[in-house]
Amino acid sequence: MTIPDTVPASGKAVPAKRFPWGRYAGIAVVAVLLLVFPVVVKTSFLQTIGVLALTMAIASTGWNILGGYAGQISFGHAVFFGTGMYGTALLVGHGWSPWLTMLPIAGLAAALGLLIGLPTFRLRGHYFSIATLAIGMMVMSILPNVKPLGAADGLSVPLLDNGFWNITFSLRDKTEYYYTALGLFAVATVAAWLFLRGRIGSYLEAIRDDELAAAAVGVPVRRYKLYAVTMSAALTSVAGSFHVMVVLFVDPSSSSDLSLSTAIALIAVVGGAGSLWGPLLGAWLVIALQEYTRTYLSATGRTIDLMLFGALIILVAVVDPKGLVNLIKRGYRRVRS
Amino acid sequence: MFKRVSATGRSGRVLAVVAVSAMLAVSACSSSDASGPDSDVTEIKIGTPLPLSGPNAALGKDALQGAQLAADILNKGLPGLKLPLANDKGLPNLNHAKFTIVPADTQGKPENGASAVNHLVNDEKVHVLAGALESGVTKTAAQQAERLAVPFVTSISSSPALTQQGLKWFFRTGPTDVTYAQSFFGLLDEQKKKGISADKIAVLYMNNTFGTDASKVAKSLADANNKTIVADVPFDPAATDLTSQLQQVRAAEPDAVFVVAYPPTATLFINATKQLDYVPPAVMAFGAGFIDAGFISSAGDGLEGMSRRVAWSEDLGSRNPAAKAVSAEYQKRYDAPLTENSARVFTTIMALAQAINNARSVDPDQIRAALTALDIPGRDTIMPWDGIKFDDQHQNTGARAVVEQRLDGAWKVVYPKDVAAQDIVWPASDAR
Amino acid sequence: MLDFLQALTNGAFIGAVFALAAVGLTLVFGVTNMINFAHGDLIMVAMYVGFVCWSLFGLDPLVAIPIAAVTMALVAVLVYAGIIRPVLGSSQLAQMVVTFGLLTFLRGVVQFVFTATPRRIDDPIVGRLRVVVGGVAVTGAQLVSAVGALLATAALAWFVHRTETGQALQAVGEDAAGASLMGINANRMYGLAWALAGVSTGVAGALLINNFGIDPLAGAAFGIMSFIAVALGGFGSVLGAALAGVLLGVVQGVVGLYFSGYTLTAALGIYLLVLIVRPQGLRGTR
Repeated sequence: MTIPDTVPASGKAVPAKRFPWGRYAGIAVVAVLLLVFPVVVKTSFLQTIGVLALTMAIASTGWNILGGYAGQISFGHAVFFGTGMYGTALLVGHGWSPWLTMLPIAGLAAALGLLIGLPTFRLRGHYFSIATLAIGMMVMSILPNVKPLGAADGLSVPLLDNGFWNITFSLRDKTEYYYTALGLFAVATVAAWLFLRGRIGSYLEAIRDDELAAAAVGVPVRRYKLYAVTMSAALTSVAGSFHVMVVLFVDPSSSSDLSLSTAIALIAVVGGAGSLWGPLLGAWLVIALQEYTRTYLSATGRTIDLMLFGALIILVAVVDPKGLVNLIKRGYRRVRS
Repeated sequence: MFKRVSATGRSGRVLAVVAVSAMLAVSACSSSDASGPDSDVTEIKIGTPLPLSGPNAALGKDALQGAQLAADILNKGLPGLKLPLANDKGLPNLNHAKFTIVPADTQGKPENGASAVNHLVNDEKVHVLAGALESGVTKTAAQQAERLAVPFVTSISSSPALTQQGLKWFFRTGPTDVTYAQSFFGLLDEQKKKGISADKIAVLYMNNTFGTDASKVAKSLADANNKTIVADVPFDPAATDLTSQLQQVRAAEPDAVFVVAYPPTATLFINATKQLDYVPPAVMAFGAGFIDAGFISSAGDGLEGMSRRVAWSEDLGSRNPAAKAVSAEYQKRYDAPLTENSARVFTTIMALAQAINNARSVDPDQIRAALTALDIPGRDTIMPWDGIKFDDQHQNTGARAVVEQRLDGAWKVVYPKDVAAQDIVWPASDAR
Repeated sequence: MLDFLQALTNGAFIGAVFALAAVGLTLVFGVTNMINFAHGDLIMVAMYVGFVCWSLFGLDPLVAIPIAAVTMALVAVLVYAGIIRPVLGSSQLAQMVVTFGLLTFLRGVVQFVFTATPRRIDDPIVGRLRVVVGGVAVTGAQLVSAVGALLATAALAWFVHRTETGQALQAVGEDAAGASLMGINANRMYGLAWALAGVSTGVAGALLINNFGIDPLAGAAFGIMSFIAVALGGFGSVLGAALAGVLLGVVQGVVGLYFSGYTLTAALGIYLLVLIVRPQGLRGTR
């Protein structure tokens, strides 16, 4: 039995009349910082972090809907990311524009999500999580045997002419990739926000907090979990579709490795699951750490990088188990009171 | 602590992130910038994307050491070593410019290969690239180098497809799996002429890019050479036991088994042979695991009678004074033997040095032109090769492979005949 | 037929290793309701402990078993006290993050100290043994692992079900608040569960080095298999985890004989199939 989380949702005790200056100011400031980033930052290394962080933020936003809001912790989300990567790679290879591939492939991912959810949603808690882990690994172990998807070699995306329509830009300066990713992230977050407004959001949170109680008061638990997984899968797939246009290739390990699934989940949790800001903060922190330590510290082969990364993750979880977002909110509330 | 940040608490945190990022940016920008007229060039940077952590970290470290040894010799010389540029203390045609090796960790993953190249070229401003070890990683790294228009030379990756993609900036000094496999098939033909059955081949390989490519090559050459593949056995690169797979091989009664395994599964293969007490008449390993010194020492007697294909052999090296000197120096500095991997990387760096020297410039186009025109005779290298000369697919036509067999705790060259120390011991069990 | 029996036997023996890895993990879950994602890497650390015993003191792995067991019990308790205890009351998510951090940290520390070069024990005592029964070959290392797994499972199961402390462990696992009301110190029980898991990883690690190479990633495959085995067997059931481990090994062994590229797929497939039919696992309750 999980020890129930008795800390009330933060920030909801604010009286209805007060205009949430803080929240809008916060959104504005973050938006400005994100927009300004590539202008200020010009090294390839930092630009790579920016693009990758935003891509993973989209994937984790997807994960968050199922994991953070509905409380179903998946360790197999790489399957959806991989669907986006393989799907877009295949179609672009046949002449499609990458943008046009995103929605249909997201639809495919959503269908896959349904397929996975139908049998697994009767499992609860850890049983569900390990089942998703197993499904993810199963996909990864089957892929090297699937010839139409390139088997172990994977697929290469042909190098198209530079241009927004082709999501192909210069490599020397990643600014265009960054802004495209930023735009996609904004769209994904708005989509998630719209999805979670109103009934769906509260039902999902009810399921997360106490599934039995929710069922008892008449919430159609199974149906709403399925809604959650379709949206979750679709968003993560879009991230994969974009990612494959940046790296221009996909193979079994880069698209469905367990470490990818855990990264997607970890990012949302470290940032703050159950909040739309969580994936963004988590992605920047985790990706920056990961890239920095691998690029600057790992070349010696004496892995201070891994030790640091591990220690930092532990620190975040111990200091504030609800993630960075909550840490910030606590600070903000303490200031306001 | 929070009061200081006041009502813009969230932005305060984000500002901190940006500040840290800015500091990182400043530190990352402070690497030396090697642009400007060539008369100012004093440092030539070679980027080396390699697996420095992850399952192949030991192989990556060995390769990096090969590169560093070459750079060191180019910069400081090694008395008595008779190789071009070995004692010129820098490039004579370029202000005696010194070499710096700039490593980057790929962790053995293809996507990291691409970002490593990006970082090395855009931030560290390397002039050329040498890497990346695993064929899967080299594939993506080479594509990035192509987009960035920087010369990329690989020594170790042997998948033939790499030089068949029409890349203009990618070169390979080492042999391809086709050359390697041909040495095995040549050996099999020799055996056949002696009346020994050598027609049935089993392939036991990892289910990844390296393994499946090698097995494809083996299969196509088998067809061309009138041999039959009696067992095709792929396995999970992360497997924990290979006994069942070896049983499958045994059941097919092959004359020779081609094995493609990185160090972890190579160990499992040896375990399986011990458990079943079964060694095929010939075991022919496609490098990788069988090159790793750690694997070799732990396999002990279990390795006796098995063969591997190599682009460089210590046995042959001892007959080449330059190879002997380099090998001794490597052992001295790194307390480990020079392997065919580190030997190849060493050779690539020396070849790159000669190309840049010929070009008298660090301009990428000039370096590429110099590489295309490169013609180094075999005796000016430490390799048992005909030399280094690239064809129009940028593959070195002079690269050769030999087959060596593990006998009495040492590797002896058994093919081709003109350089062999002795005939192969067949079946392998006679050597155990 | 003989080939099939041999494959079955192989599978059973590697399955015994999975079982050994899984029983400690399931115990921690049963008592603290937490999955320790770093479990496989604790086994890896135990392997290095065994390696150090051999390379510095010349001790054979068999002799190193008790040393590794005690060392890992200490490590486990330290881990519990240092980083697990603070997040016990938090969500499943925070616990997951902490154990992932631990996993990364352990791999980093080990590679830092020992580098990534794979190590091996040369000529372990059990390596000289090879038994052939009815045409089926079994190595000394496999026999020892199987015996070790059997003993460890039996000992843990006996402890949990037949001793008073074991009952206390179960009580805390079922209802921590109620158990404290009865005077059982929940914190001490959690620590004990972790210590026992530590012992099991110590034994597993010392047994594994007879047969497997030692490197920072050596724990990954066993870790994942142990999660699957725990889920398949039913979270919290020692016997279930052991059975599941053996089953997973057997599936891999047999499939390896006919469809060698699909061994992992088959093992995972069996697990998922069982879950569909029986969501609580082989011997899980609820």
